[in-house]
Formats: sequence, C-alpha cells, structure tokens
Amino acid sequence: MSVRTRTTPRRRAPGRAISIWLIALLVALVATVQIRSQAEVERTLVGIDTTSLAFLIDDLHRANDSLQAEAADLQRRQAALRSGTSGAADQELSDEANRLRAIEGLVPVHGPGVVIVIDAAGVKALDLQDALNNLSAGGAEAIAVNDRRVVAGVAIEQASAGVAIDGVVVAPPWTITTIGDANRIAEVADLMTKALRADRRVRQATYRVEADVVIQSVVSERPFVYALSS
Amino acid sequence: MARHQLLSIIVVAAVALVTGFLVAGQVKAQLLTPSNQVARYQALVRSVQDLEATNGDFRRQIAAIRAQINALETEAAGRSAATQALQNQVADLRAHAGLTAMHGPGVQIKLVNGVPGPDTGGQAGYLVNFQDVQDLVNLLFAQGAEGIAVNGRRITPLTAYSGSAGQVVIDQGPPLSSPITVTAVGDRNRMLAALDDSAALPDIRARQVQFQLRLTFFGSPDLPLPAYDSSLQITHVSTN
Repeated sequence: MSVRTRTTPRRRAPGRAISIWLIALLVALVATVQIRSQAEVERTLVGIDTTSLAFLIDDLHRANDSLQAEAADLQRRQAALRSGTSGAADQELSDEANRLRAIEGLVPVHGPGVVIVIDAAGVKALDLQDALNNLSAGGAEAIAVNDRRVVAGVAIEQASAGVAIDGVVVAPPWTITTIGDANRIAEVADLMTKALRADRRVRQATYRVEADVVIQSVVSERPFVYALSS
Repeated sequence: MARHQLLSIIVVAAVALVTGFLVAGQVKAQLLTPSNQVARYQALVRSVQDLEATNGDFRRQIAAIRAQINALETEAAGRSAATQALQNQVADLRAHAGLTAMHGPGVQIKLVNGVPGPDTGGQAGYLVNFQDVQDLVNLLFAQGAEGIAVNGRRITPLTAYSGSAGQVVIDQGPPLSSPITVTAVGDRNRMLAALDDSAALPDIRARQVQFQLRLTFFGSPDLPLPAYDSSLQITHVSTN
C-alpha cells in the first residue's frame, strides 16, 4: 500500500512538474513582456508626447521646404555670378541689398497681409511681444504697430506711460499691420483675436485680410559700435 | 502522501491563480497597445531624427553656397569700383541681418531646466521654454545687443520662436532644449546691469524660486557669434 502510494506520485511527478514549469514559464514570460513594454513606453515618452512630436514633424517638414527653397535660390544666384559679367554681379548685389533692406525694415514695403486691431486696457509689453512673435511664426514677413516698424531687435518695453516701441509709447488701440502669407497669418489672427476677446482687459480684437497692405514706416539704421566682423 | 498531493495541488492552483490574474491584468492593460504605442512613438522619433538630419544637411549646404557667393562677389568687385561699392553696402546689410560671423564684447547666459514641482500654470514650469528665450533675447536687444545667437543659432530681423514642453524652435529649427546658451555681443555693461536687475525677466525669476530653474551669466571682452545658416526668404513683401 505504502509502496503503491509512493510509486503513484513518482509516476505522476514528471507530468505535473512539466505543467508547473510551463505555467511558471508562462508567468515569467507574461510578466517580462509586460514590464518591458511599460519600461519602454516610459523610457521613450520622457519629455515629449506623440501629439507634440507630430507637430514637430509638421514644423520640420515646413522648415526643410523653406531651407530647400533658400538653397535653390542661392544656387541660382551663384550661377548668375559665375556667368562672370560685371552687370550680372551688380544686378545680384542690388537685388540682395533691396531684399535685406526690406528684411531689416529699412524701406517701406507692401504686399498681401492681415491687419489686426486690438483695443485693450492694461496690456503689457510682454503681451505685445507674444502677439508679434506669434504673427512672425505664422508667416508675417513685415510688421508695424501703429505705424511703427518692428523687426527682431527693435525694443518693445514696458514704460511707466505704457508700452514703448523703440522708445516711443504706443497707446492702444493697436493696429498691427502684417505682410506675408495671408492665409497662414489669418489663421493665427483668428485664434489670437478669439483668445483676446475672452480677456476682460480687451475691448476690441478684430482682423481683416487685405490683398495689398502698405507699411510706410521704417527702422533707423544703427551702425555697430561693439561688434566686429570675424 | 495526501499532504504531498495537497501541497502540489495548492502550488498548481496558486500558480494558475497568479497566471489568471496576470493574464487578466494584461488584457485589461492592453498589452498590445503599449507595444504599438512604442512602435508608433519610435516611428515618430525616427521621422524627427531623419528630418533633423536633412535640416542639418540643408544648413551646411546653405552656409557653403553663401561662402562661395561671397568669394564670387569679391572676385567681381575686384573688376569694378561700382561693384565694389555695392558689395560694401551688401556686406554691411548682411552683418546687420546676422548673415556674417562677428565677435566682440558681450555676455553669455545659460538657462537650465529646474526640477519638477507642483505647477499651477498648466505648463511644465520647470522646463526652459521658447518664451524664456524670446524674453531674454528681447531684453538683450533692448539693452544694447548688436548680435545674438542661441545655442549657436543666430537671431535675425525675421526670427520667430515656437515650441512646446521644453522644446525651443527658432526659425527653421531643429528644436533646442536645455541647457540653452544665449550669447550676445554689444554693450556688455548695459546688458549685465539688465540681467542683474531683479525686476527684469519676471517669469524666469519666479520659476527660479518655484522650480529652481537656473539662470547664470557672465560678461566677456570677446565672444564669437556664428553667421546665420538658414532661410531668410521673403516671398510676399515687395519694395516698390
């Protein structure tokens, strides 16, 4: 009896052991896969979510298109200069000078764009800086606020009497005139004015798209005092 | 014997029970979804890396062509006084647009992420963001900077800032993240005084206290600024 009871478990033991090992293996496998999956998600999702990544990809595509266009334009200019004639060089240099004067706000400009009117009390220089940056990021190539030309480098500061552009106080209502990709700027202007209208400080926030916006104001030239060309 | 058998059954039952819980937990946690999330995320990251590499290639190409154009212009200027005068004008305009490398006295500022903490602003306040860089650059220009670079990226009259969650995108990117180094050449004393002013950069100063965001700076008699290496196209603006 005792022998039988001893031998029976011995005969069953291999099958049971295999079952237990299989189950244990399955447990270990499932646990490992689960832990590794979670760890991988946590490791790779640090700092930036997929939505932000998607926006980043969109921005990089647009940026690369822009860089490609710049490279193509530079190659065209390079080819014109390689033609070797003095006239071609003069033409390229004149065109470049005109383009840079427009970029630096040194000459009046015109083109398609959007005009935004904001009337508000208590808005600060930082609010205006943010608004202008949004418009620049949204495709504005030239900007003026109440007929004062603004480019990066023009000081927008908080003065005791209000917001000053290049040392001159610019009182609301602000008329922000922009030239650039009117469709893109209009999207930014739409979001901006909607957000502004929800702000209790804001009495009016509107925008209109125009086929030909004119900016007459210019930035005065400032020779370098400290910087030297390398 | 019976005890042995009972013990075995209990062990098998316990293991089966644990397995059951794990499988149920796994199904509930959607094992496949995290795996797919990882795959999707990695695909997005690879896209970003590829696009950043392309971005870098274009920048190098642009810098190289601009250098070749400069050489060709100098060659043409050597043949004609009128061309020489035009080239001098363009050189000055390019310097002001940030298209020329420059150096001079100035300040260097380092902005470093703080530590996570309770945040009431709806944003990750401990991270350096694009508004911080924008505020810093605006302050420096207002206080006599003649040229500025952010992590070696030159600021131009058309520069715009964007980004999210600790990513700072300047013009055509690629995104920068902490530590951010801002180098400005210009009136060093005015810029240092402005940076020392506790009323300046109120948002950064508040987050220095709340999240230990780090802002350090020093003045130097000679700092280099690289030339801008991206697009400076204006396709919608006309001058006449």
